Amino acid sequence: MRPIPSFSLHRPKTLSEALELLQALEDARPIAGGTDLLVLLRDGAVSAKHLIDLGGVHELQYIREENDEIRIGAATTHAQLLRSELIAEKTPLLHEAAASIGSVQIRNRGTLGGNLCNASPAADTAPPLLALNAEAAVASTGGTRIIPLGDLFAGPKMNSLRPGELLTEIRFPTPPAGSGTSFQKLGRRRGLTLAVINVAVYLCLEGGVCREARIALGAVAATPIRMPAAEEMLEGRQLSGELIEAAASACRDQVRPIDDIRASAEYRREMAYVLTRRALMDAWERARRDTL
Amino acid sequence: MIELWDGASMEYDKILENLLGRDDYLVVGHSVVRTDALEKALGRARFTADYIPKGTAVVKVVRSSQPHARIKVDVKAALGVPGVLAVLTAADVPGHNQIGYALPDQPFLNGEKVHYIGDPIALVCAEKEYAAAEAVDAVEVEYDPLPASFTLDAALQPDAEPIHEGGNVAVTTRIRKGDAERGFSAAEVEVEDTYETPYQEHMYLEPEAAYAVPEGAGKVTVVGTMQSPFLVREKVAHVLGWNLSQVRIIQALTGGAFGGKDDMGPLVCAKAALAAVKLGRPAALVFDRDESVAYTPKRFPARIRYRSGADGEGRITAVEVDITVDCGAYANRAPFWLWRMTAHAAGPYEVENASVDGRAVYTNKVFGGSFRGFGDVAIHFAAESQVDRLAEELGMDPVEFRLRNVLRPGSRTTCDQLLDHSVGMEECLRGAAEAAGWKRGRELGRKGSRVRGVGVGCAYHGISTSRSTPDWSAASLILNQDGSFTYRTGICELGQGSPVGHAKIVAEIIGAPLSSIRIEVPDTDSTPNAKPTHGSRGLMLGGTAAADAALKLRQRMISVAAEMLGCPEADVDLREGRAFNRQDPSEEVSFAELAEELYVRGVSPAAYGFYTSPRRFYDPETGLGVNYSVYTFAASVVEVEVDTETGQVDVVKVWPAMDVGRAIDPLMIEGQIHGAVSQGIGFTLMERLVVEDGLVLNPNFKDYVVPSALDTPEVAETIIVEEPYRHSAFGAKGVGEPAIISIVPAIANAIHNATGLRFNTLPITAERLYAALRRRKP
Ligand SMILES: Cc1cc2nc3c(=O)[nH]c(=O)nc-3n(C[C@H](O)[C@H](O)[C@H](O)COP(=O)(O)OP(=O)(O)OC[C@H]3O[C@@H](n4cnc5c(N)ncnc54)[C@H](O)[C@@H]3O)c2cc1C
Repeated sequence: MRPIPSFSLHRPKTLSEALELLQALEDARPIAGGTDLLVLLRDGAVSAKHLIDLGGVHELQYIREENDEIRIGAATTHAQLLRSELIAEKTPLLHEAAASIGSVQIRNRGTLGGNLCNASPAADTAPPLLALNAEAAVASTGGTRIIPLGDLFAGPKMNSLRPGELLTEIRFPTPPAGSGTSFQKLGRRRGLTLAVINVAVYLCLEGGVCREARIALGAVAATPIRMPAAEEMLEGRQLSGELIEAAASACRDQVRPIDDIRASAEYRREMAYVLTRRALMDAWERARRDTL
Repeated sequence: MIELWDGASMEYDKILENLLGRDDYLVVGHSVVRTDALEKALGRARFTADYIPKGTAVVKVVRSSQPHARIKVDVKAALGVPGVLAVLTAADVPGHNQIGYALPDQPFLNGEKVHYIGDPIALVCAEKEYAAAEAVDAVEVEYDPLPASFTLDAALQPDAEPIHEGGNVAVTTRIRKGDAERGFSAAEVEVEDTYETPYQEHMYLEPEAAYAVPEGAGKVTVVGTMQSPFLVREKVAHVLGWNLSQVRIIQALTGGAFGGKDDMGPLVCAKAALAAVKLGRPAALVFDRDESVAYTPKRFPARIRYRSGADGEGRITAVEVDITVDCGAYANRAPFWLWRMTAHAAGPYEVENASVDGRAVYTNKVFGGSFRGFGDVAIHFAAESQVDRLAEELGMDPVEFRLRNVLRPGSRTTCDQLLDHSVGMEECLRGAAEAAGWKRGRELGRKGSRVRGVGVGCAYHGISTSRSTPDWSAASLILNQDGSFTYRTGICELGQGSPVGHAKIVAEIIGAPLSSIRIEVPDTDSTPNAKPTHGSRGLMLGGTAAADAALKLRQRMISVAAEMLGCPEADVDLREGRAFNRQDPSEEVSFAELAEELYVRGVSPAAYGFYTSPRRFYDPETGLGVNYSVYTFAASVVEVEVDTETGQVDVVKVWPAMDVGRAIDPLMIEGQIHGAVSQGIGFTLMERLVVEDGLVLNPNFKDYVVPSALDTPEVAETIIVEEPYRHSAFGAKGVGEPAIISIVPAIANAIHNATGLRFNTLPITAERLYAALRRRKP
């Protein structure tokens, strides 16, 4: 193992300063908590001459609700998400996912933006945000564009950002009454564990009928993905145990996992079924409770 | 018939009881706050890397990238890298380059041939890490590959390439007791199977490290993380070709060891020392995590074929056991490891007919070494699975079946050793079963996909070294003028707290407050040789040497105090830092006054304690004899919950019991048990070193998964059984290793109880359990 190759560290105070540095410097990369990036630098999987530290850019750290939309600054840490009453109350799904990440130390440093931009297929906040229909605000010195979160993921550990771009915000509609969600994660141990697979489900009921279903899975394909086929099976129908089983089975058929050191593709495929079924049952139960 | 004791050793348990004449001990048997706890909790305690100043030369190891090859090494280009101070190869070793622990099969630096991926070839010394890393790459190694063996079967092929001269079987063992075949013909039921246990990596928080300083001509000081300062001194002197007195070893506080640093302490310190001596300036070698996981010794993998039989009464009539240990590239501790497995092959049961064969086999993989439990974990996993199966075949309760066979006072071990005292196996088993509310055919809950099960495991573990290896320990104690004490032991603090245990023994004997006894860091220039901190001997052997020193000093203190107090010696008691007349406790002198008087009168205020274990005996032909001077016994009951949809196992609760001889500190025993429960859970359920063609693919915390705090179950208060050992201070026996052994089979047996599935191979990962459940489905 090598020592981390040397780099220059820049500590901008504002977003525009950060964007300018990113634009101007050759071979520059943003660093937020560094909990992914430092490991990659040390492994030689990534190299950078300049690191632009987002830790001092306070305008990227916020959680707020505006016009029935929840907005989260990209540099918000997992610990901040966990402490937020707004998140706990309105999107327990994201709260549960953040709670499952790493350890206290990792949650204190690691950020939402870092988790998503690192684009690991197993990132724990990705399935919940996909299930919440999140969008990403991406800024550069040229302006800001809004993309569906799914478009941020280009492949394993590859995001679709262009040079000079930063993720600045994640936003999604506040889940309405009658909705229920669930986050399920399977690891190789109970604490401080990377997902063998993870599943997030969002269901919205209207008089017993499923008005909207969103299912997202992680670590079962090159990127975290939604499961449209299974979602369609549920939408517009009266939910039942059998229907949920069928939808979960459809997920098993749709996933394209790989063998790696954490698990075999076969096991992941089977667990896609088990965890999706559990998540759907749990979300259904919560949605019914929410409707009462 | 074999004579058990030669009578030369003192019966320390009685001496102390009679001498101190206390109804209740002052500190022994009571839990105390460890004197080192606060420093560690506050992060102030200093570990090896904390001693390395800036400007120290950086040492890095150049390692083999091939599993088996003849090599030629060229260091010219590396020497040209700016900032490089030296590149040392086998040719630069001034003393001996052969450093094998048990067999002469291990070069310190490999100059001709490499035996596994990671074999050390050269040492790069540089001003900075970056230059060192660059130079490591610049050392040119020309490999002429040889056929490599990665499995036992491949290595045992007749035409397999020999990894060392003399072929791939490093060593063999055997025991013949009674007549196994006759035993099997008397059996009503018989079970036979093959068990496999994998590598386990220690994953100590502190990786290997050493800091060496040359002290003028012909002396070097090395600060390092280790378990045996005197073994380190021996190996450093051996490599340098120096006398022992030219080498000074200081053991810095050691951040976890579990056996691994017994092997790595010498190897790492010798590298730093060689660099420092060659450079003529301080040099340090600190491993990173990858290096520590991929290239340093681990628990030896083993394959065990096991056949056993029992009669209708539930008595085990015979065992036939065939053990193959995978050494990896070097034998290292394999001869001792294999012997321990051989000697303990029947488990803690009296079996009249036993036939045991063992062999340790070389393969081209990372080599094995010391690890808590030392072979007894693997052999008990097999033995305790077999015992459960025999019980099942007979339709007997597994606890009841065990009770009919356990070793008791008067029993003879597989090696025909008579156990005449300190045999608490039965009490441990009964205690754990009762605490757990063990009931035959107990209905365990099923909640949705989750099923519960309970399992039991028993264990015994010979303390310290085996057979005829001499075993002794030493310690020193000085009464300072102010009444405080300086205590020195070569037994190392590795987190387990043995030296604090020694201090408690001393405090009890001389009546000093624990806080007035300062435990010095082991330093071979001033600390008496206590032999290694391994084999669960630290408290038993080291603590008895401490008792010897304390007894000697106590005698002098009492005789001077008697004169000062004007009373007979028999009336003097020592307590709370003062000597007083028992008849009139107001007649007293403080230890400060007493110390002053000792110095004035020329009565030595320093005592050297020495303890030697009773003589043991062993016949290599039959394997019979007196193997270990005493055994610690343990039992655990474990409750698990299995998620049948995912295969995940949750260890819900553990009920441990142990015959510790005497509890010097109940809290420290709990500490050992809790750690062992976690380490046992890791070994049984999740730890899996992935080695492909000799290459370790997961040398890190990310993918070599060890249990987290959340995986730790509820652990019931340990049932402490006290069957004192006659020849140790207060009768104490070792605890560290016995703690882990029974946990492993108890978990496996509980999984069987929950699911009906029996696993012969570890670890039982969620994925494997899931696959087995699926296969069983119609
Ligand atoms: C011990 C440990 C345990 C972990 N456990 C988990 C776990 O359980 N679940 C999990 O999902 N992850 C886990 N992780 C991974 C990691 O902690 C998370 O992904 C974390 O959220 C990353 O955030 P960060 O701020 O540290 O990212 P950084 O490391 O700073 O950055 C990650 C990547 O994103 C880029 N980046 C960061 N911010 C932006 C931005 N605003 N715009 C554009 N690019 C950006 C960086 O350039 C880099 O490529 C763990 C890591 C460790 C070391």
